[in-house]
Amino acid sequence: MSARAGTASRPVIGLDLRLRATAGSEWIKFRSVRSGPFALSATALTVVVGAWLLGDANRGSYLAASPVGRAAFDPVFTVFQGIELAQLFVGALGVITVTGEYASGLIRGTFVATPQRAQVLAMKALVFAVVVWACCTAMSFAAFFLGQSALSPAKHAGIGDPGVLAAVFGAGLYLTLVGLLGLFIGVLVRRTPAALAVLFGLLAVLPIVFAQIPGTITKNLGEYTPDAGEQAYHLLPDGAYTLGPWAGLGVEAAYVVVAALVAFALILRRDA
Amino acid sequence: MCPTIAAPNAGSAVPAPPAAYRRAGAALGAEWIKLRSLRSMLLTPLLGAVASIGLTAAAVKNNAAQWAHLDAVQRARFDPLALNFNFEVIGVLLFGVLGALVATNEYRSGLIRMTLAATPQRGLVLAAKAVLVGLVSFALAAVIVFTAFFTGQGILSGHHAPHVSLGDHNMLAHLMGTVCYLTAAGLIGLFTGVLVRGAAAAVTCVFGFLLVLPLLADDITPDAVTRHTVPYLPANLGVRMLQPYQGLRPGAAVAGLAAWVLVLAAAAAFSLRGRDA
Repeated sequence: MSARAGTASRPVIGLDLRLRATAGSEWIKFRSVRSGPFALSATALTVVVGAWLLGDANRGSYLAASPVGRAAFDPVFTVFQGIELAQLFVGALGVITVTGEYASGLIRGTFVATPQRAQVLAMKALVFAVVVWACCTAMSFAAFFLGQSALSPAKHAGIGDPGVLAAVFGAGLYLTLVGLLGLFIGVLVRRTPAALAVLFGLLAVLPIVFAQIPGTITKNLGEYTPDAGEQAYHLLPDGAYTLGPWAGLGVEAAYVVVAALVAFALILRRDA
Repeated sequence: MCPTIAAPNAGSAVPAPPAAYRRAGAALGAEWIKLRSLRSMLLTPLLGAVASIGLTAAAVKNNAAQWAHLDAVQRARFDPLALNFNFEVIGVLLFGVLGALVATNEYRSGLIRMTLAATPQRGLVLAAKAVLVGLVSFALAAVIVFTAFFTGQGILSGHHAPHVSLGDHNMLAHLMGTVCYLTAAGLIGLFTGVLVRGAAAAVTCVFGFLLVLPLLADDITPDAVTRHTVPYLPANLGVRMLQPYQGLRPGAAVAGLAAWVLVLAAAAAFSLRGRDA
């Protein structure tokens, strides 16, 4: 009898319970690292206060602009330009969510506790995406209302105007995708500075490179950088991109998907 | 028996502190070993050279080939020198990251505690780092800038497009100013790294400060405040080395960059002396 007790298999834990436990531990790691609140505060400061400053600075210039300039004035994108800076903070947060764990060696403990590595990565990405999406969407709503009130009486947009609600949600989605891209690049590269250089290179430097080389090839390639997702928070078409808001976000999402596929393949194969 | 050991007062004698120049020499030697054994020391300048020389050559070639098909307005806007340094920003970012890593890698590995125990004069440690990062950046930047210049202008002249040469008026000033800009980027990175200590924060600061902030600030229509601040952002001073604007010539821009570097150096020295490592 005792011999049979020794070989008795442990109770099978349901998949939902395991996923919940992994998500729980990923949430503890996410919220207890100092860089999380710090990066999100920096993002909030840049997006929300930036929207107010940009609205205020552009009110006068709109009133002084020519009719052509007024027609091309995009009140939504104008107040959301701070996202260009804020994406660095969100992207860096995505990177250190992974590379910080490799740097401290905690990743080995994580994989001992949960040998299902794909599950660890999936829950890490899910927890990150949910938190960052909620925060960034709240920020983009705050930035929108603050920025539009600073813009008036110049041309400004109401939340019910056509396309505006989608643009405000688009801003939060853009930032979330940037963060996820950083997270998966972190899995691929594992070292903080190198991962940041790759991410920032893709986001900020690659569009400049394509813009500087004249020709139709580079112009077409330039449409398909991750930065194309910024069209999501444009109300009027931007000069540099012509794909449109959802296609632009789709291009950005495609980068995230490719990075995710490679990250899942590598995390299963590599030693931690 | 050695008389110096037998001397009765030898045990209580305090050894004379080494001369200041020997301490400085030892600090420089120690920092040099750490700098040259940094792994990024090879990769980062190499990437910078590839971007500055390779990408520039491709872009210049592309532009030069189109010269014959340009109309009068486009020809008037054709600036052979600016064209040559379109990708300068990549070099600037890489130098900034390299400078930041010199500081953050030492904090990351914990080596900084050993360094400060060996040389308790923390100002001296920072000065030695700054001297070496400055000299190495200057040398690397000079090689990259002049190679890019001769490559780019050679391609332009090969296509019979307008080009400039080193002997032209102020040309050497433009190029040396650009070398100074890259050097300043390395030092700004180093001092930022000493201030924030973490690689992630330092690299994000370098990209934000040297790349994105000027892009955003340039978009704002100039008003009373921005007209007198935006041109003095380091990246905008760096561009002035090649394209003089509103009376800001390379000399004034170098002075402005030096002021940024000195202010950051003072902040880094204050932070290094006042904080626990």
